[in-house]
Amino acid sequence: MRWVSAALAVAAFGSAAGAQDARLAVIRDDATRDAVRQFVEAARARGTPTDPLVARALEGVAFKADRKKIEQAMAALEKRLRRSRDLLGPRASVEEVTAAADALAADVPEGTIRDMKRIVPQRPITVELGVLTELVARGVAPKRAATMVRELMARGATGAQLTELNAAVQQDVALGVKPVAALELRSRGVMSLLPPPASVLSAQRP
Amino acid sequence: MDDGRDEVIDRAARALGAMPAVRTGAVARVLMAVRANQARPASPWRRFTRRIDAMSVSARGAALLVAASLVAGFFVRGSVGEDRLLPAAVPVVGPALQPAANGAAEQRLMPVAVAFEAANATSVSVVGDFNDWDPRATPMVRVGDGGPWSATVFAKPGRHTYAFLIDGTTLVADPRAPRARSADFEGDASVMMVRTP
Repeated sequence: MRWVSAALAVAAFGSAAGAQDARLAVIRDDATRDAVRQFVEAARARGTPTDPLVARALEGVAFKADRKKIEQAMAALEKRLRRSRDLLGPRASVEEVTAAADALAADVPEGTIRDMKRIVPQRPITVELGVLTELVARGVAPKRAATMVRELMARGATGAQLTELNAAVQQDVALGVKPVAALELRSRGVMSLLPPPASVLSAQRP
Repeated sequence: MDDGRDEVIDRAARALGAMPAVRTGAVARVLMAVRANQARPASPWRRFTRRIDAMSVSARGAALLVAASLVAGFFVRGSVGEDRLLPAAVPVVGPALQPAANGAAEQRLMPVAVAFEAANATSVSVVGDFNDWDPRATPMVRVGDGGPWSATVFAKPGRHTYAFLIDGTTLVADPRAPRARSADFEGDASVMMVRTP
């Protein structure tokens, strides 16, 4: 049985590595492709999730970036991925870790990411992190956006509700409303749909 | 005002002085009656009617409607039979207050329709982190003669970046979506937020 498990694990690892190699085949420049492959293998050995690294390299290729730029981008992303893994814990999904890395790139404070995960430790916060990143990208100050998203999460707001909030804020900003004002206004709308804080706390209590 | 007295205050003092004196015994009786009323436990019916009285007109109407529906439903259920009243499946409408515990919803691929106007293009594809920026993965099709290019991509819930590749050479951001300014590469992509199912 142990041999079967080992064989299956090797086969799975081999197929995953093979699939990644196949993805890297679209990189026409040999030197760039080799550099990316080496970086990905080294990152895998360090325990970093490699899917987002490959995606970033291929994004660079799509934007016609040179090898140096692609390597720099991958190195910066790996650093953020590792930090995100530390903040979210070992059980975090790759998507969640990637979303946290994007949030860090948008200057979201590290403590915010840790706090968000503490609010809902039982499920991924990929969408919530994406919304926070977008709010900051639209011009809301990182601390203000973080406070608001955390408050909504603590009140039981779902990812779907936060996604709608983000869309509404973007529409308001496009119409000329100041980002912070749009966030305050739309947050109140979501808050009105949520149960009062006391009932959320009692529901979360085991 | 010459002697330091205010005429208005004087008038008010004269008016109050004309009122009958308050009898302390009467005040004590009123207070004792109020206290006794508070101490006596209200009957369940009284508590119910108090709640109804506290409701606004619209809330009271809604409560009466619900009560009437329950009564009517009880009789209809008896006459029609249980089998016909039990639906096979009812979709839950409204916000889900209790999120999925295992995060399975976050792993589901969600369809997202994208469209792009490029009248003179001979081919357009959508590329993004959901398809590894592969130009061959999601070719777009033209809707009608000279209409917009359209495609459906499948992505997991969360934030995704994408762009359109025109004629296999020119990468442009979606003009109708927010921009994702990359700190790593020159050129803008767009952002799509995919919600949980």
